[in-house]
Amino acid sequence: MTVLTTSTVQMPPGLVVAPRLPDLLLPVRVRRGVLGFLRNHPTVAIGGALLLLLVLIGVLAPWLGTVDPTALAPARRTRAPSAEFWFGSDMLGRDVYSRVLYGTRVSLTVGLSVAALASFAGLVIGLVSGTVRWADGIIMRFIDGLMSIPPILLAVALMALTRGSVGNVILAITTAEIPRVSRLVRGVVLSLREQPYVDAATASGTRTPMIILRHILPNTLGPMLVQATYICASAMIVESILSFIGAGTPPTIPSWGNIMAEGRALWQIKPYIVFFPAAFLSVTVLAVNLLGDGLRDALDPRMAKSL
Amino acid sequence: MLSYILRRILSTIPVMAIVALFVFSLLYIAPGDPAAVIAGDQASPADVERIRQSLGLDRPFLVQFGSWLWHILHGDLGTSIFTNLPVTALIAQRIEPTLSLMVLTLVLTIVVAVPLGVVAAWKAGSWIDRAIMGFAVFAFSLPVFVVGYVLAYVFALQFEWLPVQGYTPLAEGLWPWLQNLILPAVALGSVYIALIARITRASMLEVLQQDYIRTARAKGLDQRSILFVHALKNAAVPIVTVIGIGVALLIGGAVVTESVFAIPGLGRLTIDAILRRDYPVIQGIVLLFSFLYVLVNLMVDVTYTLVDPRIRY
Repeated sequence: MTVLTTSTVQMPPGLVVAPRLPDLLLPVRVRRGVLGFLRNHPTVAIGGALLLLLVLIGVLAPWLGTVDPTALAPARRTRAPSAEFWFGSDMLGRDVYSRVLYGTRVSLTVGLSVAALASFAGLVIGLVSGTVRWADGIIMRFIDGLMSIPPILLAVALMALTRGSVGNVILAITTAEIPRVSRLVRGVVLSLREQPYVDAATASGTRTPMIILRHILPNTLGPMLVQATYICASAMIVESILSFIGAGTPPTIPSWGNIMAEGRALWQIKPYIVFFPAAFLSVTVLAVNLLGDGLRDALDPRMAKSL
Repeated sequence: MLSYILRRILSTIPVMAIVALFVFSLLYIAPGDPAAVIAGDQASPADVERIRQSLGLDRPFLVQFGSWLWHILHGDLGTSIFTNLPVTALIAQRIEPTLSLMVLTLVLTIVVAVPLGVVAAWKAGSWIDRAIMGFAVFAFSLPVFVVGYVLAYVFALQFEWLPVQGYTPLAEGLWPWLQNLILPAVALGSVYIALIARITRASMLEVLQQDYIRTARAKGLDQRSILFVHALKNAAVPIVTVIGIGVALLIGGAVVTESVFAIPGLGRLTIDAILRRDYPVIQGIVLLFSFLYVLVNLMVDVTYTLVDPRIRY
């Protein structure tokens, strides 16, 4: 809304012109297209760009000046960062730079897989729970029970049952994340069910599966997408924690948690072994969180104002 | 209100029952045969079978679950496979450092995060607000051990102000105890502080727009009492909820923090139990922490009725 003024019109002498009022709302230039969207939401652009960079690093790891990340060289143990070992070498003489770069693969694989699997499972459970009344009570009691076990402990307990492998880590973290997603989806479904357009669809004889598919599912996707980014960030942290305490990926696979766990004994004299994987992990999690915050602002302007 | 509190307490029973069922299934489906482990390498199949019968491992799942639950309700969490000590004794040995760390972190978080959130909401949109919220996003992304190592490197190794690692029991004096816990508490609290600061700001922003705040301003109340007395009281419910939910972060983070700072607490016990596949100990710890978590959130719910008299049940 722009307040019009008549300052450009020739005024007869002696007439007092009202002072120009400030605009109540600054004009918003609506930018369209993908690039326009990114310019409107710089956090999405920054987070997305960082994440893209890390994905590229993970994919292109073999061609980025790395050597075999598991190659032992006992003669060249615990070297400080230098031209030969960019991030130094660990106590078995392995190149930390190569290990950290390959570690990107593990972290991103776990983060993205858990986000996808937990979202899908949570979506199904939440939709069933939100629409099938008799199942709701049973499902929700189980979800309540699972939610009262702190997620990291739940993942730790599940990992204690199985062999350490990337697949098992993904399954364990997914199980720990499902309850929260299910709750979220159920909440959204319950509020959508009361919307007039759902009543209208029911009144005009649309069958329940069609209502779910056409009217409810599309509206849960926005909050789900935002939640999925937070799950991705949290999964990457939990993965590194599991590996750090020895309950995650097997020590033969270079993951950031493993590199830090191996550097732990020496961190007081050789801090760089812990520092580089820690820095990569922090930047990755920050990128995903920025992306999530940006998406939340873009998809739900009402929430964006308050949080 | 009393009947609400009673009903709320009763509602935790099915939740804890499901936790117990889950934790028991963990042991039930765990690989390895406890009877074979106890019998040792030399035992004949008949010996193993005898031990299995004496342990009741040949009975149906639900019967075993019932008897296990019966023992738990009588304070018997079983015996560690590795050390042969009762799990309750192992936990009792290690609980002080962990509880100290968690309580100190909780206090630190509330003291730091709530004022940060209030100030951010008061100065919403200003550079102070941006700085606080920027810090919150940043702190929220830093894993516990990263903060832990950086703090230990700077304040313990470089400046030598505080000990690098270890733990001193509270019985040996307040300052030695506190000295060892400051860095772990800050490390563990960083994520939690970010979370509480964000939710405090959000909740305060909503309250500050209400008419009674304008009335308070109009009648000339000073800013501090408007923010911390009038507004914060009404913004408290979501904040207290998130403090309760965030205890899960605290529990998970404590395991890692104890590992970084070499604190001999429950976290250390958990890690040892995982490496040795000592399932009764893992069970005991998961059960204890879940119970603690449920208890905290029960207290949070009960607090609502005290904080906010508008809530009726």
